[in-house]
Amino acid sequence: MSWLALVANRLFWFVPTLLGLLTIVFILSRVVPVDPAVLMAGENASAEQAQRIREQFGLDQPLIAQFVDYLHDTIRGDLGRSLYTQQPILTDLAARLPATLELAFAASLVALLIGVTLGILAGLHRDTLLDHVLGIATISCMAVAPFWMAMEFQSLFSMDLGWLPLSGRVQGFPPAQVTGFIFLDALITADAGALWSALQHILLPTLTLALPAAATMARFTRNGVIAAMSSPSVDYQMAMGLPRRVIIWKYVLRMAIMATVTQFGLTFAILLTGVVVVETIFDWPGLGSYAINSILQSDYNAVMGFTLCTGVMLITVNLLVDILQAAIDPRGSA
Amino acid sequence: MKALAKRFARDRIAVTGLAILGLLALAAILAPVLAPYPEDVATFHIERRLLPPSAEALMGTDRMGGDIFSRLLFGARATLTLTTVAVGAALLIGVPIGLIAGYYRNWASDALMRVSDVFLAVPQIVMAIAIGQTLGSSAENVILALSLTYWPFWARLVFAETRSMRNEIFVESAVALGASAWRVMVLHILPNIASAIIVRTAIGMGATMLTAATLGFLGLGVPPPAPEWGRMIAESRQYLPDAWWYSLAPGAAIFLTVLGFNLLGDGLRDILNARIRRRR
Repeated sequence: MSWLALVANRLFWFVPTLLGLLTIVFILSRVVPVDPAVLMAGENASAEQAQRIREQFGLDQPLIAQFVDYLHDTIRGDLGRSLYTQQPILTDLAARLPATLELAFAASLVALLIGVTLGILAGLHRDTLLDHVLGIATISCMAVAPFWMAMEFQSLFSMDLGWLPLSGRVQGFPPAQVTGFIFLDALITADAGALWSALQHILLPTLTLALPAAATMARFTRNGVIAAMSSPSVDYQMAMGLPRRVIIWKYVLRMAIMATVTQFGLTFAILLTGVVVVETIFDWPGLGSYAINSILQSDYNAVMGFTLCTGVMLITVNLLVDILQAAIDPRGSA
Repeated sequence: MKALAKRFARDRIAVTGLAILGLLALAAILAPVLAPYPEDVATFHIERRLLPPSAEALMGTDRMGGDIFSRLLFGARATLTLTTVAVGAALLIGVPIGLIAGYYRNWASDALMRVSDVFLAVPQIVMAIAIGQTLGSSAENVILALSLTYWPFWARLVFAETRSMRNEIFVESAVALGASAWRVMVLHILPNIASAIIVRTAIGMGATMLTAATLGFLGLGVPPPAPEWGRMIAESRQYLPDAWWYSLAPGAAIFLTVLGFNLLGDGLRDILNARIRRRR
């Protein structure tokens, strides 16, 4: 399959994939044993009140009709209203997106720095003591339950030692809101106190998220370095008498990092999964804690909105990675 | 086969992983014998609640006065059974779908793979939580949630492996000799991709266990009072940092089990890859 055909094939399947995603989420949210109308009306509400809410939200319609309505609204960008906050879901999600993006960006950055550095070190010193120690460290990081790591971090650094804040995004009042990203807002308003506080708050959640992702990246980078070192082109350069330093910096690292970048889809998925639990434990006001709260309150409009939002992000990232991968290495697109 | 066993015994990573898992399985099976206070699974002793580790209670006691070590041993049963059954079910769904989609080259196999893409597009934990929340918390529902969440991992792998096997000469000759599609898939392709499936299964067990523990932590796992590692950690949260032993033991237990599966998977991959390389 040529590169263009691959791109066309992936783009062609993009819409059905989205439709499938919507269907799964819709089915899941409609077999809830709890009647959301009763839940919304409150425990003491009469049957008529519950019925009125049912009619108001279209919950009395047949499932197929509800699904068609849902698709129609979604295409127009209307994800419905949250049963709890009474806000449009899109507003809720948009309000919480910056917090999650901030955390995800910080975690990606830390994971990339730690993971690529350690992976290169391990790959260049293959089968030495350093490689074995790093191997044990990475496989251990991947075995720790993120929620447990988060709790032990809180216990040690916040409660016992008192070095870092327990939870939240910033101490006291946040800086004047311009973008919703606390770091940018603090920079724009030149609020050094808020910036420092935000840094302290983001440290523990970032570490919890970044360590498993860094471990995965380190393993990919190590394999990439080893594959590059044993490639015929490096053999050739060695034979030509190029210094090892030049070969490593100019050729090996470039090839190895390319291999790591194409695995970004996987890293992104790990981060998205981690965000849900980590945000809940650190009371981080992002999409993840919103999702958990919504699920526990049977707020199915919100759950559908969140799942759609993350699903679209993941599908898009995977699409881009597939295309990028095919562009870099046409051999894989058979 | 004998050579393979020898290779395995020489591979320190795989042996360590297998040893950890073997000990855990033994502890789970012998839980009623090994546990100093087997009755603590269901009974409370408020007078000895939240005691630090001592000679009587090796890992301390929890908020109900239960011996954490005893509860940990019984928790191993729940965790290992849940994970094994869930992964087994995921294999039963994923492997046939991957085989069929990989063997045939038509719109249907494309569609099957896109369905697995859809499942992969939802973050696993969100999907598992949504299913767990929808169906209510019980052991059966945790298994259902986990297998519905994780089958695409095997489907994708088997699909890719089957596609590459499809062009091998031995498969083409079997087809040319008039073997039925089922015969080719089950007798010719499946044995040749088994090692890849085994490696993925070892690593998948670890990932599935972590998700199962997360469900327990969020209160969507096996209902109380049956001991479950994830829920033990959730219960310990409000007693931190004073009752440090409370969360330490179940967290370490989860870590060790997942580490065991990861080590086993890594070791197996090295062994089986080396074998494939040598054969060619």
